[in-house]
Amino acid sequence: MEKERYIAFESESDPNREKNEQVAENIQQLGQTNVPQMTQDTNIHCLTIVGQIEGHIQLPPQNKATKYEHVIPQIVAIEQNPNIEGLLVVLNTVGGDVEAGLAIAEMLASLSKPTVSIVLGGGHSIGVPIAVSCHYSFITETATMTIHPIRLTGLVIGVPQTFEYLDKMQERVVRFVTKHSKITEEKFKELMFSKGNLTRDIGTNVVGPDAVQYGLIDEVGGVAQAMKKLREMIDAKKSEGTMLQ
Amino acid sequence: MILYTMMPEHLIFQTDSSEYTKQKVIYYDGIPFLVEETETKEWQIVRNLSTNPADFLQQKYAPGERFPSSFET
Repeated sequence: MEKERYIAFESESDPNREKNEQVAENIQQLGQTNVPQMTQDTNIHCLTIVGQIEGHIQLPPQNKATKYEHVIPQIVAIEQNPNIEGLLVVLNTVGGDVEAGLAIAEMLASLSKPTVSIVLGGGHSIGVPIAVSCHYSFITETATMTIHPIRLTGLVIGVPQTFEYLDKMQERVVRFVTKHSKITEEKFKELMFSKGNLTRDIGTNVVGPDAVQYGLIDEVGGVAQAMKKLREMIDAKKSEGTMLQ
Repeated sequence: MILYTMMPEHLIFQTDSSEYTKQKVIYYDGIPFLVEETETKEWQIVRNLSTNPADFLQQKYAPGERFPSSFET
Protein backbone atom coordinates (compact mmCIF):
# COMPACT_ATOMS: atom_id res chain seq x y z
CA MET A 1 0.00 0.00 0.00
CA GLU A 2 2.66 2.39 1.07
CA LYS A 3 4.94 1.30 -1.71
CA GLU A 4 2.25 1.91 -4.36
CA ARG A 5 1.68 5.39 -3.11
CA TYR A 6 5.36 6.09 -3.20
CA ILE A 7 5.77 4.93 -6.80
CA ALA A 8 2.75 6.96 -7.93
CA PHE A 9 4.29 10.01 -6.36
CA GLU A 10 7.56 9.45 -8.17
CA SER A 11 5.99 8.94 -11.59
CA GLU A 12 3.92 12.10 -11.23
CA SER A 13 6.75 14.41 -10.44
CA ASP A 14 9.17 15.88 -12.91
CA PRO A 15 12.52 14.07 -12.45
CA ASN A 16 14.50 17.28 -12.94
CA ARG A 17 12.61 19.16 -10.31
CA GLU A 18 12.95 16.26 -7.96
CA LYS A 19 16.69 16.17 -8.51
CA ASN A 20 16.97 19.84 -7.67
CA GLU A 21 14.95 19.28 -4.53
CA GLN A 22 17.21 16.41 -3.66
CA VAL A 23 20.29 18.59 -4.05
CA ALA A 24 18.72 21.33 -1.94
CA GLU A 25 17.88 18.80 0.75
CA ASN A 26 21.41 17.48 0.75
CA ILE A 27 22.89 20.93 1.10
CA GLN A 28 20.52 21.60 3.97
CA GLN A 29 21.26 18.37 5.76
CA LEU A 30 24.85 17.63 4.98
CA GLY A 31 26.45 20.77 3.64
CA GLN A 32 27.49 18.86 0.52
CA THR A 33 25.91 18.17 -2.82
CA ASN A 34 27.22 14.93 -4.14
CA VAL A 35 29.59 12.06 -3.71
CA PRO A 36 30.93 10.11 -6.69
CA GLN A 37 28.62 7.39 -8.00
CA MET A 38 30.21 4.04 -8.45
CA THR A 39 29.61 0.48 -7.42
CA GLN A 40 32.64 -1.64 -7.27
CA ASP A 41 33.37 -4.84 -5.51
CA THR A 42 36.28 -4.38 -3.22
CA ASN A 43 38.64 -6.90 -1.68
CA ILE A 44 39.46 -4.62 1.24
CA HIS A 45 36.78 -3.87 3.78
CA CYS A 46 36.86 -1.07 6.28
CA LEU A 47 35.65 -1.29 9.87
CA THR A 48 35.17 1.96 11.73
CA ILE A 49 35.38 2.10 15.50
CA VAL A 50 33.99 5.53 16.38
CA GLY A 51 32.63 7.31 19.42
CA GLN A 52 32.13 5.27 22.54
CA ILE A 53 32.47 1.54 22.66
CA GLU A 54 29.14 0.43 24.02
CA GLY A 55 29.01 -2.30 26.59
CA HIS A 56 26.15 -3.99 28.37
CA ILE A 57 24.23 -0.77 28.95
CA GLN A 58 22.68 0.74 25.85
CA LEU A 59 23.69 4.37 25.49
CA PRO A 60 21.06 6.99 24.65
CA PRO A 61 20.78 7.61 20.87
CA GLN A 62 22.46 11.04 21.03
CA ASN A 63 25.74 9.26 21.80
CA LYS A 64 27.83 8.13 18.89
CA ALA A 65 28.62 4.55 19.74
CA THR A 66 30.19 1.42 18.33
CA LYS A 67 28.10 -1.52 19.38
CA TYR A 68 29.78 -4.89 19.70
CA GLU A 69 26.67 -6.69 18.55
CA HIS A 70 27.14 -4.92 15.18
CA VAL A 71 30.89 -5.24 14.94
CA ILE A 72 31.33 -8.88 15.92
CA PRO A 73 29.00 -10.32 13.22
CA GLN A 74 30.72 -8.04 10.69
CA ILE A 75 34.12 -9.48 11.65
CA VAL A 76 32.67 -12.98 11.30
CA ALA A 77 31.28 -12.08 7.86
CA ILE A 78 34.66 -10.68 6.80
CA GLU A 79 36.38 -13.88 7.92
CA GLN A 80 33.90 -16.00 6.00
CA ASN A 81 33.62 -14.05 2.75
CA PRO A 82 36.22 -15.39 0.30
CA ASN A 83 36.11 -12.14 -1.76
CA ILE A 84 37.41 -10.10 1.15
CA GLU A 85 41.17 -10.31 1.38
CA GLY A 86 42.04 -7.66 3.92
CA LEU A 87 40.57 -5.43 6.60
CA LEU A 88 41.34 -1.83 7.43
CA VAL A 89 40.28 -0.78 10.93
CA VAL A 90 39.79 2.96 11.35
CA LEU A 91 39.75 4.19 14.93
CA ASN A 92 38.54 7.43 16.38
CA THR A 93 37.24 6.45 19.75
CA VAL A 94 37.18 7.73 23.29
CA GLY A 95 37.07 4.24 24.70
CA GLY A 96 34.26 2.73 26.69
CA ASP A 97 33.36 -0.67 28.01
CA VAL A 98 36.42 -2.76 28.87
CA GLU A 99 34.88 -6.14 28.13
CA ALA A 100 33.28 -5.06 24.85
CA GLY A 101 36.54 -3.41 23.76
CA LEU A 102 38.55 -6.50 24.59
CA ALA A 103 35.99 -8.67 22.78
CA ILE A 104 36.43 -6.64 19.58
CA ALA A 105 40.23 -6.63 20.01
CA GLU A 106 40.34 -10.40 20.46
CA MET A 107 38.12 -10.94 17.42
CA LEU A 108 40.40 -8.76 15.28
CA ALA A 109 43.54 -10.43 16.62
CA SER A 110 42.23 -13.88 15.70
CA LEU A 111 41.22 -12.92 12.14
CA SER A 112 43.11 -15.01 9.58
CA LYS A 113 43.11 -12.25 6.93
CA PRO A 114 45.64 -9.40 6.93
CA THR A 115 44.48 -6.50 9.10
CA VAL A 116 45.84 -2.97 9.37
CA SER A 117 44.62 -0.41 11.88
CA ILE A 118 44.87 3.34 11.62
CA VAL A 119 44.29 5.73 14.50
CA LEU A 120 42.87 9.06 13.41
CA GLY A 121 42.10 11.72 15.94
CA GLY A 122 42.04 9.54 18.99
CA GLY A 123 42.33 5.94 20.07
CA HIS A 124 41.92 6.37 23.77
CA SER A 125 41.50 4.05 26.68
CA ILE A 126 40.13 0.69 25.48
CA GLY A 127 40.81 1.87 21.90
CA VAL A 128 44.48 1.07 22.59
CA PRO A 129 44.03 -2.75 22.63
CA ILE A 130 41.88 -2.51 19.49
CA ALA A 131 44.57 -0.47 17.68
CA VAL A 132 47.33 -2.94 18.57
CA SER A 133 45.21 -6.04 17.87
CA CYS A 134 45.72 -5.72 14.10
CA HIS A 135 48.71 -7.25 12.33
CA TYR A 136 50.11 -3.81 11.57
CA SER A 137 49.15 -0.46 13.05
CA PHE A 138 49.39 3.14 11.92
CA ILE A 139 48.78 6.41 13.69
CA THR A 140 48.49 9.83 12.12
CA GLU A 141 50.89 12.48 13.31
CA THR A 142 48.27 14.47 15.20
CA ALA A 143 46.36 11.54 16.65
CA THR A 144 46.60 10.74 20.34
CA MET A 145 46.08 7.75 22.55
CA THR A 146 45.29 8.11 26.24
CA ILE A 147 46.69 5.35 28.38
CA HIS A 148 45.22 5.20 31.86
CA PRO A 149 44.28 2.60 34.46
CA ILE A 150 40.81 1.12 34.13
CA ARG A 151 38.25 3.15 35.94
CA LEU A 152 34.97 1.60 36.81
CA THR A 153 31.97 2.45 38.87
CA GLY A 154 33.10 -0.51 40.92
CA LEU A 155 29.89 -2.25 39.99
CA VAL A 156 30.27 -5.56 38.23
CA ILE A 157 27.06 -7.46 37.58
CA GLY A 158 25.39 -4.99 39.88
CA VAL A 159 27.67 -5.68 42.83
CA PRO A 160 30.65 -3.58 44.01
CA GLN A 161 33.84 -5.47 43.35
CA THR A 162 37.09 -5.88 45.21
CA PHE A 163 40.31 -4.15 44.27
CA GLU A 164 41.77 -7.52 43.28
CA TYR A 165 38.98 -8.05 40.77
CA LEU A 166 39.65 -4.68 39.11
CA ASP A 167 43.39 -5.32 39.24
CA LYS A 168 42.90 -8.61 37.41
CA MET A 169 40.76 -6.86 34.79
CA GLN A 170 43.50 -4.30 34.25
CA GLU A 171 46.05 -7.08 33.99
CA ARG A 172 44.08 -8.51 31.04
CA VAL A 173 44.34 -5.20 29.20
CA VAL A 174 48.06 -4.85 29.95
CA ARG A 175 48.77 -8.42 28.87
CA PHE A 176 46.82 -8.02 25.63
CA VAL A 177 48.60 -4.79 24.68
CA THR A 178 52.10 -6.08 25.51
CA LYS A 179 51.41 -9.33 23.63
CA HIS A 180 50.22 -7.59 20.46
CA SER A 181 52.66 -4.66 20.30
CA LYS A 182 56.34 -4.02 20.84
CA ILE A 183 55.85 -2.03 24.05
CA THR A 184 57.23 -3.57 27.24
CA GLU A 185 55.06 -4.13 30.27
CA GLU A 186 57.27 -1.79 32.34
CA LYS A 187 56.92 1.04 29.83
CA PHE A 188 53.18 0.57 29.42
CA LYS A 189 52.63 0.59 33.17
CA GLU A 190 54.91 3.60 33.54
CA LEU A 191 52.74 5.51 31.04
CA MET A 192 49.60 4.23 32.71
CA PHE A 193 50.56 5.40 36.19
CA SER A 194 52.45 8.61 35.45
CA LYS A 195 51.25 11.76 37.17
CA GLY A 196 50.76 15.32 36.05
CA ASN A 197 49.58 14.64 32.50
CA LEU A 198 45.85 14.36 32.98
CA THR A 199 43.58 16.47 35.16
CA ARG A 200 42.78 14.73 38.42
CA ASP A 201 43.80 11.38 37.03
CA ILE A 202 46.89 9.34 36.37
CA GLY A 203 47.92 8.31 32.89
CA THR A 204 49.51 9.71 29.74
CA ASN A 205 48.22 11.19 26.54
CA VAL A 206 50.55 9.76 23.90
CA VAL A 207 50.80 11.66 20.59
CA GLY A 208 51.38 9.86 17.25
CA PRO A 209 55.21 9.82 16.91
CA ASP A 210 55.62 9.05 20.65
CA ALA A 211 53.32 6.04 20.36
CA VAL A 212 55.62 4.72 17.63
CA GLN A 213 58.71 5.50 19.72
CA TYR A 214 57.33 3.53 22.68
CA GLY A 215 56.61 0.59 20.38
CA LEU A 216 52.88 0.76 20.91
CA ILE A 217 52.12 1.48 17.25
CA ASP A 218 54.21 0.32 14.28
CA GLU A 219 54.35 3.43 12.11
CA VAL A 220 53.24 7.03 11.68
CA GLY A 221 51.20 7.38 8.51
CA GLY A 222 47.92 8.09 6.84
CA VAL A 223 45.48 6.21 4.68
CA ALA A 224 47.87 5.87 1.72
CA GLN A 225 50.53 4.13 3.80
CA ALA A 226 47.95 1.95 5.51
CA MET A 227 46.43 0.80 2.21
CA LYS A 228 49.87 0.20 0.71
CA LYS A 229 50.86 -1.93 3.69
CA LEU A 230 47.60 -3.87 3.54
CA ARG A 231 48.06 -4.60 -0.18
CA GLU A 232 51.62 -5.75 0.47
CA MET A 233 50.40 -8.06 3.21
CA ILE A 234 47.67 -9.47 0.96
CA ASP A 235 50.21 -10.12 -1.81
CA ALA A 236 52.61 -11.71 0.66
CA LYS A 237 49.84 -13.99 1.92
CA LYS A 238 48.92 -14.99 -1.65
CA SER A 239 52.50 -15.82 -2.63
CA GLU A 240 52.90 -17.77 0.61
CA GLY A 241 49.86 -19.82 -0.36
CA THR A 242 51.22 -20.64 -3.80
CA MET A 243 54.60 -21.58 -2.39
CA LEU A 244 53.03 -24.17 -0.11
CA GLN A 245 51.39 -25.90 -3.07
CA MET B 1 24.88 21.54 40.20
CA ILE B 2 28.09 19.58 40.48
CA LEU B 3 27.86 15.92 41.35
CA TYR B 4 31.05 14.52 42.82
CA THR B 5 30.55 10.87 42.06
CA MET B 6 32.26 8.14 40.13
CA MET B 7 28.89 6.84 38.91
CA PRO B 8 28.47 7.36 35.17
CA GLU B 9 26.03 10.05 34.12
CA HIS B 10 23.68 7.60 32.42
CA LEU B 11 23.16 5.74 35.71
CA ILE B 12 22.16 8.91 37.56
CA PHE B 13 20.10 10.59 34.87
CA GLN B 14 18.41 7.74 33.08
CA THR B 15 17.15 8.46 29.61
CA ASP B 16 13.49 8.07 28.87
CA SER B 17 12.83 4.72 27.25
CA SER B 18 11.05 6.40 24.30
CA GLU B 19 14.43 7.84 23.26
CA TYR B 20 15.71 4.35 22.55
CA THR B 21 12.88 3.44 20.20
CA LYS B 22 13.56 6.39 17.88
CA GLN B 23 16.47 4.70 16.16
CA LYS B 24 16.85 1.16 14.96
CA VAL B 25 19.05 -0.98 12.75
CA ILE B 26 17.52 -2.30 9.56
CA TYR B 27 18.74 -3.84 6.33
CA TYR B 28 18.18 -2.05 3.03
CA ASP B 29 19.60 -3.62 -0.16
CA GLY B 30 21.38 -6.05 2.16
CA ILE B 31 23.30 -3.25 3.85
CA PRO B 32 22.84 -2.55 7.57
CA PHE B 33 21.76 0.98 8.41
CA LEU B 34 21.02 2.85 11.60
CA VAL B 35 17.78 4.69 10.80
CA GLU B 36 15.34 7.10 12.32
CA GLU B 37 11.64 7.28 11.50
CA THR B 38 10.48 10.50 9.87
CA GLU B 39 7.05 12.13 10.13
CA THR B 40 6.24 10.83 6.67
CA LYS B 41 6.70 7.22 7.84
CA GLU B 42 9.93 6.86 5.93
CA TRP B 43 13.29 5.80 7.25
CA GLN B 44 16.02 8.41 7.32
CA ILE B 45 19.57 7.10 7.36
CA VAL B 46 21.56 8.11 10.43
CA ARG B 47 24.56 5.88 9.90
CA ASN B 48 25.69 3.40 7.31
CA LEU B 49 27.01 0.37 9.17
CA SER B 50 28.48 -1.43 6.16
CA THR B 51 32.13 -2.44 6.11
CA ASN B 52 32.26 -2.26 2.31
CA PRO B 53 33.79 1.13 1.46
CA ALA B 54 32.04 1.10 -1.94
CA ASP B 55 28.67 1.35 -0.17
CA PHE B 56 29.65 4.78 1.07
CA LEU B 57 30.16 6.14 -2.42
CA GLN B 58 26.51 5.86 -3.39
CA GLN B 59 24.31 8.85 -2.79
CA LYS B 60 21.29 6.78 -1.82
CA TYR B 61 23.14 5.25 1.12
CA ALA B 62 24.41 8.58 2.49
CA PRO B 63 23.26 9.84 5.89
CA GLY B 64 20.19 12.04 5.59
CA GLU B 65 18.76 10.08 2.69
CA ARG B 66 15.26 8.71 3.08
CA PHE B 67 13.57 5.61 1.81
CA PRO B 68 10.08 4.17 2.40
CA SER B 69 9.84 1.72 5.26
CA SER B 70 8.48 -0.90 2.83
CA PHE B 71 11.93 -1.06 1.19
CA GLU B 72 13.34 -2.60 4.32
CA THR B 73 14.65 -6.12 3.72
